[in-house]
Amino acid sequence: MIDVREMTKNYGRLVANDNITLSVGGGELAVLLGPNGAGKSTLIKSVCGLLRFRGSVTIGGHENHTAEAKRLLGYVPEFPVLYPMLTVAEHLEFIAKAYRLEAWQDKAEQLLRRFELDDKKMKLGKELSKGMQQKVSVCCSLLPGPRAVIMDEPLVGLDPHGIRELKTAILELRDSGCALLISTHMIESVEENWDVTYIMVKGRIERVCRRADIAADQSLEDVYFAITEGKSQGDPA
Amino acid sequence: MSSLVFLLVRSAKNSFLELLRKPGKLILWSLVLLGIGGIFVLSLFTGESAENLLDPAWLKGILFLLVAFFMAAAIRKGLSNGDVIFEMSDVNLLFVSPVSSRLILLYGILRMAKMAFLAGFFILFQSNSLRSGFGLGFDAVLLVLLGFILAVSLLQILSLLIYSLTNGNPARKRSVRLLATAIFLPLAATIGVQFAKTGDPLLALENALGSPFLTWTPVAGWASEGVAALIAGDAAGGLLFLGLLALSGALLILYIALSNPDYYEDVLVATETAFEKKRVIAEGQIGTEASSSKKVKVVKTGIGGWGAKAIFYKHMRESFRSQRLGLWGWPSLLLVAGAAVTSLFLGGKGGEGGKLLVLLQILMWAQIFLIGTGRGLKELYLHYIYLIPESSFRKIVWSNLEIAFKVLVETLAVFGVAGLIMKEPLLLIAAAIAAYTLFSFLLLGVNYLSLRWTGTNISAGLLVFIYIFAVILILLPGLVAAVVIGSRFGDVGVVIGLGILALWELIAALVCFALSRGILHRCDMPSVKTGNQV
Repeated sequence: MIDVREMTKNYGRLVANDNITLSVGGGELAVLLGPNGAGKSTLIKSVCGLLRFRGSVTIGGHENHTAEAKRLLGYVPEFPVLYPMLTVAEHLEFIAKAYRLEAWQDKAEQLLRRFELDDKKMKLGKELSKGMQQKVSVCCSLLPGPRAVIMDEPLVGLDPHGIRELKTAILELRDSGCALLISTHMIESVEENWDVTYIMVKGRIERVCRRADIAADQSLEDVYFAITEGKSQGDPA
Repeated sequence: MSSLVFLLVRSAKNSFLELLRKPGKLILWSLVLLGIGGIFVLSLFTGESAENLLDPAWLKGILFLLVAFFMAAAIRKGLSNGDVIFEMSDVNLLFVSPVSSRLILLYGILRMAKMAFLAGFFILFQSNSLRSGFGLGFDAVLLVLLGFILAVSLLQILSLLIYSLTNGNPARKRSVRLLATAIFLPLAATIGVQFAKTGDPLLALENALGSPFLTWTPVAGWASEGVAALIAGDAAGGLLFLGLLALSGALLILYIALSNPDYYEDVLVATETAFEKKRVIAEGQIGTEASSSKKVKVVKTGIGGWGAKAIFYKHMRESFRSQRLGLWGWPSLLLVAGAAVTSLFLGGKGGEGGKLLVLLQILMWAQIFLIGTGRGLKELYLHYIYLIPESSFRKIVWSNLEIAFKVLVETLAVFGVAGLIMKEPLLLIAAAIAAYTLFSFLLLGVNYLSLRWTGTNISAGLLVFIYIFAVILILLPGLVAAVVIGSRFGDVGVVIGLGILALWELIAALVCFALSRGILHRCDMPSVKTGNQV
């Protein structure tokens, strides 16, 4: 569903993403791990079509800048930026109208209830706390019923209820055949449910790790530190 | 003390090294310095004829107004959050360190003086205008800059003091407001009396400029009189008034340091508010609405439109919610009022359209910067517009319809009112409206083209520079053609010239939009570099 081929992104002389190739199939939960500055957010923004890059990115077989690809895509950004002058309900209405969604109201209500936002429908974007904004951002990304969802640090700022609901929503999306690419530093939050993990270091994918590849007594955290810390020890820096 | 000196020296050194590492910034600063040098050299060759020179009292008046504007802003800040003299890093690292709070205050004030110097940088560009308008040299420009820096530094300290004295005390806030208004009352009364005597607003202002009520108005009067005296060669008068500024500043610092060594709480709110604003901007909220504390009442709700059209309806909902007049708030009313006042000063005799052209020229310069206030360009800083599954062209068109509509109505009002005051013919007013509206359309096109061409991967300052340069370059052929062809047609030449300019603007704008086609997927989503790690 999400297919990245030989993708390179430069900021001037800095190579933020170096020849990245990855793919996430339908019903698969892919986790993007890496230390700060590894290039995870750049990769995510490039896949979502927010940055220019060399290489190819397709969503459901469509080039990522096409309307067909955008219709399949849901994106939860690192910073939940809302429109300060729109209410919570209007954010969802705007998404519904802009995406030309029919009969969206029930689904919107359901999402708002799930993330405990149903009593905040009339609150303006600027009146919400960081965590609330993150919840609205998640609702906006899920409303169009995307088949590929990309999330950048989605659990940051959420309260325990929000974290539980989002983790459940992620599982439901995966079970419904949706492809998920999630970048996170909270390894324990994906430990139980990941299918494939891409560990990035300095703009490159250092290791692709499938659940079946690791030993029964090994955790994802062990794999992560073996790659990243092993790398930094040998690094001349 | 050594740690603070280390901070100051190391910050200056690192800023310089960063300049060398970032070619964009280096080019921008080189261009600014070259510009100042160029204008200085130009001012040496600018001839001034004694009969065309303005009375230096007007320079005093301009400086008075400028400082009074900063004064109003400083008092306003003092009554809300206080001025920002520290960074968040100072709060997190310095405030908790065992360094004397008084020395830290001194460090903050020193850094603030640097900001005042940078704020006054634009004065250095005025040497040519001062030469041709008042017959003054570069030394006078430096004196104006000195007076401005002293006044702004004093105002920043004053703002801090006002906050510290009035925070959480409405009665004191009221007193400060009353006092701030009372300071200007004698001058306002003088202008009123002069107007009653002469019946001529310009003459009344001119007479008031020589009044002691203007000279002794705190800060603005002292700064303008001090600079005017030094320029006129009256060293004693100059030193007296500029000395008064420096002395007041020193006394205020002394008062803050001695009376309130625990001032951290007083500066914390302003520092945190400024930091939060920068953070919000860096995350993509480049408008002021997100960080504004203004209470907004939600009455009507809902978004109209379907597909890309929903962006336009969203903009309308946001605008009407943010201000009662919707697209046309106070800035629009001020624009129309300002144009009307300018028209009154330019005179009501009409003529060959020259006066309307002066107004058009002023408004076109202002529009270069005002066009960026539209929601369409701001939309580019958020991810939503990129992800909406519609064609890039449709999204850009619907996203900019709000500013196009706003500009059209504003233009009709501005030139309608100005044309009536100037008693200009209807055809000329219509030609000016067309030239101005299409100029705004061209500016939008150039904005997109600048973003498309640079890929947004440059500093905001350099982007603005490229944008202004591109506007001048693109407009120039149309302007030359308008002047050359228009000058051949006698009385109707101005209308024909404006028509040609409008046509050129339309063609150039269409070319710009065509060249910036696909901006939503051919350049990086821009972000504002606030200079802070947030």
